[in-house]
Amino acid sequence: MAASNSVLGLYDTPDAGANAMDGLKSAGFALGTFDVLTGTPYPEGAFGEHVPQHRLFRFPFFGAMVGITLAILFTAGTQLAYPVVTGGKPILAVFAMLIIAYELTMLGAVIATVVGIIFESRLPNLNLGAYDARITEGYIGIVVECEDDKVEEARGVLQTAGALEIKTA
Amino acid sequence: MVTSSLITDAVDERPSNIEATATLAGEGRTAVSSGLKLFMWILAALSVIGIVGIVFRFINDDGRQDWGYYAATVGWMLTIFGGAPMVAIAPALAKANWVRPVARIASLGAVATSVLALLLIPLLFKLPALTEFSEVLGDDVRRRSIWFDSPDYAPHFWNALSLATLALVGMFMAYVMAIPDLAAIRDHGSGWKQRWAKKLARGFHGRPQQWEWLKMRIGITGALYFATLMFVNFLFSLDFAVSMVPGWKDSVFPFYHVITSFQAGLAFVILGAWASRRWGGTEKFIGQEQMWSLGKFMLATTLLWFYFFYSSFIVFWYGRSESDTATIKLLVSGPYIYLFWTVFFLVFIIPWWVMIWNKVRDSLWGPPIAAVIILFGLFLDRIRIYVASWSAVPDDLELATTSILGDMPETMWPDIFDIFIMVGLPALGLLSILLVTRLVPVVSLWEMQQSRLISKPIRFLRGHALLVGKPD
Amino acid sequence: MQQRRILDEVAINHELLRGNLATPKWWLPTVLGLLVVVLFGFTLMGIMFNKGLGVTGLNRPVYWGLFITTFVFWVGISHAGIMISAILRLTQAEWRRPVTRAAELLTVFSLLTALFFPLIHAGRPWRIFYWITPFDFARGIFPNARSPLVWDPFAIGTYLTGSTLFLYVALLPDLGVLRDRTTGWKHSFYTVASLGWRGNPRQWRLQTVAGILLSALMLPIFVSVHSIVSWDFAVTPSVEGWHSTVFAPYFVVGAVHSGVSAVVTMMAVMRWLWGWDNYIRPEHFDALARLLIVVACAWLGFTFAELIFGVYSLEAPERALREMQMFQWPWNLLFIIFFLTAFAIPVPLWFFKRVRNNIAMMFWTSILVNIGMWLERFLIIVPGLSRKQPFVFTWDSYQVSPLEWGLLLWSFAWVMMLMLLFSKFFPLIPLFETKESQVFTTDVKIGRVNMPAVIRELD
Repeated sequence: MAASNSVLGLYDTPDAGANAMDGLKSAGFALGTFDVLTGTPYPEGAFGEHVPQHRLFRFPFFGAMVGITLAILFTAGTQLAYPVVTGGKPILAVFAMLIIAYELTMLGAVIATVVGIIFESRLPNLNLGAYDARITEGYIGIVVECEDDKVEEARGVLQTAGALEIKTA
Repeated sequence: MVTSSLITDAVDERPSNIEATATLAGEGRTAVSSGLKLFMWILAALSVIGIVGIVFRFINDDGRQDWGYYAATVGWMLTIFGGAPMVAIAPALAKANWVRPVARIASLGAVATSVLALLLIPLLFKLPALTEFSEVLGDDVRRRSIWFDSPDYAPHFWNALSLATLALVGMFMAYVMAIPDLAAIRDHGSGWKQRWAKKLARGFHGRPQQWEWLKMRIGITGALYFATLMFVNFLFSLDFAVSMVPGWKDSVFPFYHVITSFQAGLAFVILGAWASRRWGGTEKFIGQEQMWSLGKFMLATTLLWFYFFYSSFIVFWYGRSESDTATIKLLVSGPYIYLFWTVFFLVFIIPWWVMIWNKVRDSLWGPPIAAVIILFGLFLDRIRIYVASWSAVPDDLELATTSILGDMPETMWPDIFDIFIMVGLPALGLLSILLVTRLVPVVSLWEMQQSRLISKPIRFLRGHALLVGKPD
Repeated sequence: MQQRRILDEVAINHELLRGNLATPKWWLPTVLGLLVVVLFGFTLMGIMFNKGLGVTGLNRPVYWGLFITTFVFWVGISHAGIMISAILRLTQAEWRRPVTRAAELLTVFSLLTALFFPLIHAGRPWRIFYWITPFDFARGIFPNARSPLVWDPFAIGTYLTGSTLFLYVALLPDLGVLRDRTTGWKHSFYTVASLGWRGNPRQWRLQTVAGILLSALMLPIFVSVHSIVSWDFAVTPSVEGWHSTVFAPYFVVGAVHSGVSAVVTMMAVMRWLWGWDNYIRPEHFDALARLLIVVACAWLGFTFAELIFGVYSLEAPERALREMQMFQWPWNLLFIIFFLTAFAIPVPLWFFKRVRNNIAMMFWTSILVNIGMWLERFLIIVPGLSRKQPFVFTWDSYQVSPLEWGLLLWSFAWVMMLMLLFSKFFPLIPLFETKESQVFTTDVKIGRVNMPAVIRELD
């Protein structure tokens, strides 16, 4: 069930942000329903946040497989389709094919990795929900995704932790 | 925002300085396990066998090709023991903290290099002079080498001098890096170790000026060691391999030799770290972080092995001149083809696919397994290179001075004396290192203490992290 | 090195987005000036396509001249980005942070420029299509995968695609910052370009992992690209001086030498133009110079190996070539300039801390290196070709035509113009890396001394 509201509390210090996260935890909000938004990467777990899991490392292997397959098709296919001996090399010159295969394997791996990064970052998602431009100025945003009946409780917890402003979207 | 306001101290579980001193310099390390003693006696016995092998090799000497396995063994030892101290230098220059616990193991490679300098002597006797063919072909005819018109015995002289320099510089560096530890043994040890440590510590009392000197000396000898190592690999690989084979012209080969030396050095340090944890009681100092970091570099050098190999292979394969084809045949597809493929798997394919997984790199067992495979593979690789080179004695002397290898030599198999040599000489090298570790601790005490001083576990708001100082 | 500045995020945004949110006075005239040179260059290309390659100085047997030299030169410069970005990221070198973006950008634009040269050198560039793609099914004629000239497009294509994506991924957080500071069409543009970046822990974690993973993937590509370029020459046995096994690593190290020097040049220019004294500091030049000393010494080692193996064979033609390269007019003059500028002048100077920390000195020495490195490629390519080879019935030297000089000039103007255009829309110094550096660095007090310290995450 998708949460219909996002509530954002804005804090001017990391400490206050961490307190808000603690408050949400003790108020019984489930891990994963609230998140911290920062303009800077902080050391992992600094806000006591849920450490996200990802499967990025699978992507390059998949991309590499696609790349090498295309490379074999290209190199073997073109040579067999136009079998002219050059420089005394065999028609299927493995050591030359290896170079193109290497490049396309790496290309596949890189493209798949970038796709993986975007996918695993849960992007693109142009709907920012509750957000404030000051987050990219050093403020800490604590955002809670919740149903209608929990909105007030979330606002209360965020306010108690000393939010400068609370937004709902 | 000021980060310092977000940091608080966390519990530090690392051994305290007092505990470290007791373990590494005091009574804690005086007891040698009976297993280690037995192992050292076995190494001593094997060393004797190796020396017997050398003597009989001289007696049963039918020419240059009989010395291929000896050259391969010396080449392998140079690859490992010469490369190991680089592990102590390179990360230290980049201010890497993780290297501190294994820096000593790495620097002790120089002890075996000193033994190696002696083992080079028989090989120098067997290295042909530049004027090898003059008697038959006339005074002005010299074999092809990087020495061009230098005196007849230039390669002999320069190889001996450079290897001796490498050993001296390496030993000096290992000694300088051990001085503060020797001072600690002087203050906390007992018996013969204390007496020796007192002499060798040379009045080191940790005054700022003494530390400054120490740092400077380590820096200078480190840079000098690197330069000498490059030079030794350059000369040794060219004079004892490339120029022995008519027609083998391979400008990347010295660099290939250097890369394998780094690879083997890392493998040696990984195995040393594993062994010292297993038998030397250093579990508190050497951990997974060291294996992980060393493993990453070993993976990188493994990939570079292929790069340097392929760089020369593709050029020969495309060249297709008579000498290009002969070179590929001699080293890859000819008499040593099975050896080549074994090497290819042991030095490249297997370690690559073992070490590519972070879970394997970040373990106490993964890197040592890959290290054993690599070291064995590189031993076979040195056989492929040096035995092939020493067996390529030209039948047709006219061809020898040009660029073509005449008849392809046959596969050379080791005889019993070669086996003695191959087992005995590395054992002698290892024994020399173990003997030195009777006095010098295998984990550098002062590096551990400094590491404890400049880094500490912290809490960053609600998370855990490590704070690491970066001294200039 | 106690040059760390404590800056808040507002100040960082304000200073680093100086060129994006407002237009500096010098920007438009400079871009227009460069545009004139660029248009002039495109006109020269048009003339060449129309009249044929005869308008260049290329003639039998020197078919590869300034164009291919410049191609290798720009591919070399492109090695800056990944060297700085990937290696320094993997080794967690803190001083990399202000440098990465500009270095990656240099990679992308110099590769794009390098690509032009073999294309225009083909005379009829549109025919390259047949040469690299399996296109001509009608006649059944397909590319020859055994030719090194087909490897090049694959290598450069991979490197260019990879670096562009690498650059884009690392831009995402900064595009988010720009989105938050703009209005109107710019806001819409940055909203779409940033893909909805919010800066939650998942996105930051992926950003960090991406930096490491992409670096690890880009490094092997980086090594392969210049190796493949070097094999254009090395697998050719018939040209003296080319058939050398050391070429691949030699070219790669040379590329790093010239690429990192180009980064130094660019950083000095960035500091002067945008006044980023708080970000690009003498300590960064110091660190780059130390890196350059190591790279330059390695490069010298490879150069030495290349030269000594040139004469190692003791074959008369090979010796004659080396004699010509080093001792015959005008090659001897070029050789001396090459050696002085690529190594003998800059490297000893970099040993002095005062030079390393002097930005003007670093600027000029880095320019010297690239003069030398361009000449190095010229000296590798042209003398070998201008000597008589088997299967060549005539031989002659090579005179660079004014048109070729014009196109060399075009390439510099083109890269500079692209960089300036980029700087208008995107930040040249990564904001998030700068902010991250503020969080992850601090001082640790030991006794009476404050030591710079970094925070390392635990695995």
